[in-house]
Amino acid sequence: MKDVLASLPALNERYSMFSCIASGADTEEPKFLFSAKDNLTSKDMETKCGSRILEGYRPAFDAAAVEKMRQYGGRLIGKNNMDGFGFGTFSTNSAFGVPKNPFDLERSCGGSSGGSACAAAVIEDHVSLGVSTGGSICCPASFCGVYGIAPTYGRVSRYGLIDYGNSLDKIGLLSSDPAALAEFLPVISGKDPRDPTSCAQPPLDLKGKRIGSVAVPEEALKGISKDVLSAFESSLDILRSMGVEVKRVSMPSLKYAMPAYYILATSEASTNLARYVGMRYGRQDGDLSLGFDDYFTSFRSEYFGDEAKRRILLGTYTRMAGFRDRYYAKALKVRLHVISSYKKVFEDHDAVLTPTMPFAAPKFEDISKMTPVESYSADFLTVPANLAGIPHLSVPCGYDEDGMPIGMQLAAAHWAEGPLLTFAEEWGSAFDVRRPEVPL
Amino acid sequence: MDKETVKKVAKTAHLALSDDELERYCKDLGEILDYFKVLDESPEGEGYGVDPVEIADILRDDVPGIFIDPYELLKDMKTYENYVRGPRLL
Repeated sequence: MKDVLASLPALNERYSMFSCIASGADTEEPKFLFSAKDNLTSKDMETKCGSRILEGYRPAFDAAAVEKMRQYGGRLIGKNNMDGFGFGTFSTNSAFGVPKNPFDLERSCGGSSGGSACAAAVIEDHVSLGVSTGGSICCPASFCGVYGIAPTYGRVSRYGLIDYGNSLDKIGLLSSDPAALAEFLPVISGKDPRDPTSCAQPPLDLKGKRIGSVAVPEEALKGISKDVLSAFESSLDILRSMGVEVKRVSMPSLKYAMPAYYILATSEASTNLARYVGMRYGRQDGDLSLGFDDYFTSFRSEYFGDEAKRRILLGTYTRMAGFRDRYYAKALKVRLHVISSYKKVFEDHDAVLTPTMPFAAPKFEDISKMTPVESYSADFLTVPANLAGIPHLSVPCGYDEDGMPIGMQLAAAHWAEGPLLTFAEEWGSAFDVRRPEVPL
Repeated sequence: MDKETVKKVAKTAHLALSDDELERYCKDLGEILDYFKVLDESPEGEGYGVDPVEIADILRDDVPGIFIDPYELLKDMKTYENYVRGPRLL
């Protein structure tokens, strides 16, 4: 483990996967090493959430998930680089350098938990904490060729998580080893009075049944790249050989999930981000002789990134009197519709299976040409499960002709993480996962 | 979305936009709202899905307690005699 710690600065120079690295050495040898997305507070490390507005923030407490990993014997080695406040699909919205895909440095490692996925792919025997609001664990897991799980909403306490969308945020795990997901999910799960939304959960049952049948919605196979479709079709054959029944279904509700998600996520984000005004946390170096309106406005305009401003504007608009019923209230009703359409599928099947992302990791030059709508649309396969708050897992399932990883995603019923974790391990023995070459 | 609306929203959200930003966000938000139009035809559930799962209403007993040392919290803030310092109100 000492070798890993010594190699971190050089690794980070190459991949930019950390926004902060642990310094100093423990006297005791830790049981394992882990890293955490930089929107989870850590009392011994700066927590910036990918945004300049939080530069210098040293939290007074650990996030519940970080605290539990430490209590289990882990050492936090760094805070993972991410899109500012989780706003993005490619980690290109970080103010602290853009993490690189370990299979090709010209490409994105996905987002917004991009640094978490990169660390999971590059560092041996590593597990990282990620956070998913609309797909931010499965997307980078898919692009970096690792396993990632986002559990049911409320399974892991959000205490110490810097909120993006409170009704959507979920803390989960990424690793190149599927067994690590099953080992560490019980560690970070559980009721926590400091986050009441975690207190209604049933126990996590890891000895539960396996995934015996999956439903593949036909809507999920439109608008995806040839390489992804071909890797996905080959995976269906592997699944059948594992004894999993594969059925095609129709889920017309999926297309309404995207707009409903972006309305709810930005509405919640715009209120959450109202607290960043150059007082109390992070940067506080403004001119206090200004009136408060001018002080707040100048601070926020200077230090929020482009995408944060866009989402604040959108979320403020969709909550305004006159528009609220059309957007925010409507999106809440549509969420119920999407949840009930999943429940209907789960009456006959154990999981809904789709590719994770519609394409393999794109090049940075292509990402820079995308419009916001094009970039948001890339999340169309990961968003529905996130809107519904159901647990979902991404596993590597193929490689395109450039050797870039492709992932597939299984979403299961609320609280049914057990079968997903069992599946991850079964899949790990059936499919050969490639590791990136790390020249260090 | 027209510029006046974006300006009004930005003021509400405490953001000052440059001319370039105003131009760009007008275009972007217009495209995003167009994209949201598909929701108009969506079926709805009964009620509002404020939370995706059932949430327990759990309240702590109303007993005073210190969960985080307030001096620890104040350590990194601009303060004056243990009050948080902020900009002028008047």
